Amino acid sequence: MLMEAILIAIWAGIIGIDLYVGLTHMHRPVVTGLVVGLILGDVTTGLIVGGTLELIWMGMVPLAGAQPPNVVIGGVIGTAFGVIAGQDPQVAVGVAIPFAVAVQGLITLFFTLFAPVMHKADQFALDANTKGIDRINYLGIAILFSFNALIAFLPIYFGAEQAAAFVETVPQWIIDGLSIAGGIMPAIGFAMLLRIMMKVEYIMFFIVGFILAAYLELPILAIALIGLAIALYDFYQNKNKQGPAPKEEEITDGI
Amino acid sequence: MASNSYHYEDTTSAPDLQPKELRKLAWRSLLLQASFNYERMQAAGWLYSILPGLKSIHKNKKDLSKSMKDHMEFFNTHPFLVTFIMGIILAMEQKKEDREAIRGIKVATMGPLGGIGDALFYLTLLPITASIGASLAVNGNIFGPFVFLIMFNIIHFGVRFGLMNYGYKTGVKAIAKLKEGTQHVSRAASIVGLTVVGGLIATYVSFKIDYTWTQGESELNVQTDILDQIMPALLPLAYTLLVYWLLKKGRSPLTLIGLTVVVGLIGSYFGVM
Repeated sequence: MLMEAILIAIWAGIIGIDLYVGLTHMHRPVVTGLVVGLILGDVTTGLIVGGTLELIWMGMVPLAGAQPPNVVIGGVIGTAFGVIAGQDPQVAVGVAIPFAVAVQGLITLFFTLFAPVMHKADQFALDANTKGIDRINYLGIAILFSFNALIAFLPIYFGAEQAAAFVETVPQWIIDGLSIAGGIMPAIGFAMLLRIMMKVEYIMFFIVGFILAAYLELPILAIALIGLAIALYDFYQNKNKQGPAPKEEEITDGI
Repeated sequence: MASNSYHYEDTTSAPDLQPKELRKLAWRSLLLQASFNYERMQAAGWLYSILPGLKSIHKNKKDLSKSMKDHMEFFNTHPFLVTFIMGIILAMEQKKEDREAIRGIKVATMGPLGGIGDALFYLTLLPITASIGASLAVNGNIFGPFVFLIMFNIIHFGVRFGLMNYGYKTGVKAIAKLKEGTQHVSRAASIVGLTVVGGLIATYVSFKIDYTWTQGESELNVQTDILDQIMPALLPLAYTLLVYWLLKKGRSPLTLIGLTVVVGLIGSYFGVM
C-alpha cells in the first residue's frame, strides 16, 4: 500500500498545483478517476467512480473567488476509497466530502498565512529584483504541491474511514468560521484599492457603482459600462473646455 | 498621492514587444495564482506574468522599480482572460503612460473580465466538456478523461494566447488615438475604476447576519427584516469602509486579515453568521 499511497500523493500534489496554477483542469475528478484507477490497478472502477464524482460535483468551481469544497482532495480520496473498498460511488462521495470541506478550510488558512510574504515581495519590487519575485511564486507552487501530497497520503495510507472519523472531530464551527471569513476577505483588497485610488472628487462615482450593484443588482460588466459612459462624458467635457474651440462647434452654437 | 507626481526618468517609448516575447508572457500567465493570498490576491503572480515585458520596457532601474511596486497592488481577475489585461497594460507601459492611468485601466478591466470569465468558462465550457467526458467515463470508456481534457484545453489555450496578442494590439492602437491630455485619460480611468470597485464591494464581499429574533409569535430576521431594509449590502460596505479607515490609521493589512478571521470564527461560534 505504501507505493500506491506515494504515487497517489504525487498525483494529488500535481493536481493541487493545477487547481490554481496551470488550470488545465486535469484536477477534475473525471481525470483523477483514471489516474487513481491506474495506480490501484482497476481502471474501469476508477473511471466509473471518477465520472460519477464529476457529475455530482459539476458545480464545484471557484466562482467569483469563493472557495468551494476542495475537488482535488475530494476527488483523490473519493476515487481511492471507491476502488479500494469496492464501494458504490455515492458512498465514496460521502467519505470524500468531509475531507473536501476540511481541506478547503486549511487552504483558506494558507491564503491568510501567505499574506506576510507579500511584504517581502514589495521589497523585491522596490529593489527591482525580478529574481526575487520569481522565487516567491515558485515557493507558492512548492507549498501547494507538498500540502496536497501530504493531505492525500495520510488518509490513503492509514485508511480513509479512520481518517474521516478524525476529520469529523474538528468542530464544525471552526470550519464554518473559516469559510465565513473567506467570504468577507475580499473587503480587505477593495479597501486597499480605495486607499490608493480614492480622492474626494471621485466619491460620487464610487457611490454610483455601489448603488448599481446593491440596489439594482446589475452585473459588474453593466456597471463598468455605465462607469465608462460617465468617464467618456467627463473626458470630452474637459477636452472641450481646455482646447481651442473647433470651428464646427461655433457654427452649431449659433443655431 | 505620491504616484500622482511620478515622472519617468526615461520618457522615450520602448520598442514594440515581439510576438515571441508575448508568447512567453502568456506562458508565464499560467502562474497567475501561484502566490495567491488574501491580502493582494493575484498581485505577485500578475507581476510575475508581465515581468519580462516590464524588464525589456524599463531599462531605467528607478522606472522599473516604480512600475514593479505599482503592480504589487491588489489584483484579481479571471485567470484565463488575464492575458487581455496584460496586453493592454504592457502597451501602456511601453508608451510610458501616466502611472495613474495604468492603474485605473487595470482596476477597471479586472472586475468585468472576472465576471465574464466565470460565466464563459466555469458556467458554460466546463459543464459542457466535463459532462461529455464524465458520461463516457461512467460507462468505463477510457477516452472520457482525454476527450474532456482536449476539448477544454484547446479553448483554454486558444483564448489565453489569442487575447494576449489581441489585448496588446488593441492597447497600442488605443493609445495612439489618445495622445492628448494624459491627465484626462487618468481621470477617466479612475472614474471607471472607482465605479467598478463600488460595484465589486456590493457583489463580492459576502457578509450576512443569520439570526432570527423570536418573541412569542413574531419573528424578526436581522438580515432581511432590518439590515436589508436600511440598505442592501450594508455590512459589506460598512466593513470595507472600516478596513479602509483602519488602513488609513496605519494598521497593517495583516492585522486586518487576522481581524477578519476572528470575526468569522466569532460569528460562527455564536451561530449568528
